[in-house]
Amino acid sequence: MELRDRIIEATIHHLREHGTLPASVFRFCRDLEIDERAFFGQFPSFNAVESAFWGGTVDRVVHAVTSSETWSGFTARQRLLTFLFAYLEESLQHRSLLLNRVAPLRLLDQPLHLRGMTERYKIFARTILDHGISTGEIADRGHVGRLYPDALAVHLRSVLAFTLKDDSPRFERTDAYVEKTVNFAFDVVRTQAFDTAFDLLRFLAPRPTPAG
Amino acid sequence: MKEQDSIQSGRAGRIAALAGTGAKVGVNYLKHYARRAVGGSDDRASLDAANASDVYETFSRLKGGPLKLAQMLSIDRHLLPAAYADVFAQAQYSAPPLSYPLVVRTFRREFGRDPTEIFDTFCPSAAHGASIGQVHRASRDGHEYAVKVQYPGVADSLRSDLAVVKPIALQILGLRERDVAEYFREVEARLLEETDYALELQRSTDLSAACVHLPGIRFPGYYPELSSRRVLAMDWIDGQPLDKFADGSSSQAERDAIGQALWDFYAYQIHELHLFHADPHPGNFLITEGELAVLDFGCTKSIDAAFYRKQFAFLDPGLLDDRKRLIAALTDLEILLPDDSPAIREQLIDLCLTSLTLVARPFREGSFDFGDPEFMETIYNLGLENRNSGVLRSLRGSRGSPDSIYVNRAYFGLYSLLARLRARVTTPLPDWLSAGCAV
Repeated sequence: MELRDRIIEATIHHLREHGTLPASVFRFCRDLEIDERAFFGQFPSFNAVESAFWGGTVDRVVHAVTSSETWSGFTARQRLLTFLFAYLEESLQHRSLLLNRVAPLRLLDQPLHLRGMTERYKIFARTILDHGISTGEIADRGHVGRLYPDALAVHLRSVLAFTLKDDSPRFERTDAYVEKTVNFAFDVVRTQAFDTAFDLLRFLAPRPTPAG
Repeated sequence: MKEQDSIQSGRAGRIAALAGTGAKVGVNYLKHYARRAVGGSDDRASLDAANASDVYETFSRLKGGPLKLAQMLSIDRHLLPAAYADVFAQAQYSAPPLSYPLVVRTFRREFGRDPTEIFDTFCPSAAHGASIGQVHRASRDGHEYAVKVQYPGVADSLRSDLAVVKPIALQILGLRERDVAEYFREVEARLLEETDYALELQRSTDLSAACVHLPGIRFPGYYPELSSRRVLAMDWIDGQPLDKFADGSSSQAERDAIGQALWDFYAYQIHELHLFHADPHPGNFLITEGELAVLDFGCTKSIDAAFYRKQFAFLDPGLLDDRKRLIAALTDLEILLPDDSPAIREQLIDLCLTSLTLVARPFREGSFDFGDPEFMETIYNLGLENRNSGVLRSLRGSRGSPDSIYVNRAYFGLYSLLARLRARVTTPLPDWLSAGCAV
């Protein structure tokens, strides 16, 4: 196993066992029998290690869903749904970790340890949106459209927050939540609602006061 | 099928949507009164129709529980003005589609495999909707299947949906809680049963095995190995929906044959099996090669022998001339209560006599032409009168057995279907009653 993966694995193992990131790089490196230079050659901090782990969960699911035969025939809406359902399935592997690391957060919090998840997901979301724009499923809104990946990243967090609170059998309500919210989101981007809201916000934003 | 333009999510959204309807209905009433005030021509029916389409629009956007509720209310014209019932009856064709990824997700969870791994072909878009799920067409080894997939979480959210919808529905429909409390309880119980496809599979298999010998009727085969709690696989049947058949170019003889099959099917279930398909709306029947195919056993009702005897004692033609026996039968079914005042008693007895004379007419006559528009018209109007009747409204508590709801509903549905078919049908009394008469 490569050093990078060994560090990630050991960090996540520690997180699962103790509920927190390792307190000391020194002790961590000693247990792993590597020197600190090697550690810092890979990651600047434990937050970065964890961030890489969460980014990896997204990448694995992206790889799995995009390499299926049916993917190329899917609309943007279907692609997004397929990813989210697969991601939820994958998340069952580390639900306890999510409960510990994601459940306590507020929706708009952007902690360092989740940055990888958000960043990787936003890149993927951009490809889905581009596909939707190229087929005309989503209208190209120029500048406003650049906010879509951010909105989808918040949506992903809301899905996680929902499933972590879901107590329905086999988390069925989460499926319904995903289906309904994605439908809603695509209906919004298909209409002018998003533009109108943006226009309103711009109007309400504080105006620069005249000089003098 | 076109996907919906907007989707209500969360309780708050649903409540808001319903409240919006309440307001709209209010506005329609204002228009109604305004028109009357200025002396313009005005009819109650057009007001009901305007309200009904607003209410329906709202219900159909909510899907799941509320949609189902709309459907169930639509079948009982005693509860709803005719205009509401007509519009609500459309609900059966309007359920919105599940996305294909969610269908795949459901399959993965139920069977651990994709639908395309289980079937040779599986159509990603639904062939048609059902109130709490949708039907996909699939094939395997040259055999065609209809695969019903349930909305996820429907069972879970039904109860809360109903709790949210009930008070608002009561208000916008102008019904009183105590008039319909039993009704809602029964509806809720049946609805929850309907979300259990394992139970439906069992009942479908049992009921179709018990009825398969009846002439002119057929049932799809069911496939337990391809079914689960959320997925139900049966034979695909090509055919024409019953209402399209009825309104189409079919001959009188063809319509009579279908009508007779329908009548015999219900007669056998109710009088012999005491277990019946309690959801006789046109969407549950297909006409195929001149025969009637029965599709959906999601809603069945069983009644015990004691209740059956009490309920169907009313079919005895002798009761119409023998007031004493009628009173005994009404007391038996707890429609008349011991502490009713004599005035109330008289009114109730008269009311029941009128209903009975009308509703049991096909049984008394032995053969009946349901194409007679006057017959159904009179039944609807009777329902309307009963609803507006001060006597009935002033009665405390509910009377009769909640089981009667489903018997009434089944017969109402049956009569409505037969009327739609304009069928001429042989309508004998059940054996035990006709034997009694002959003596």
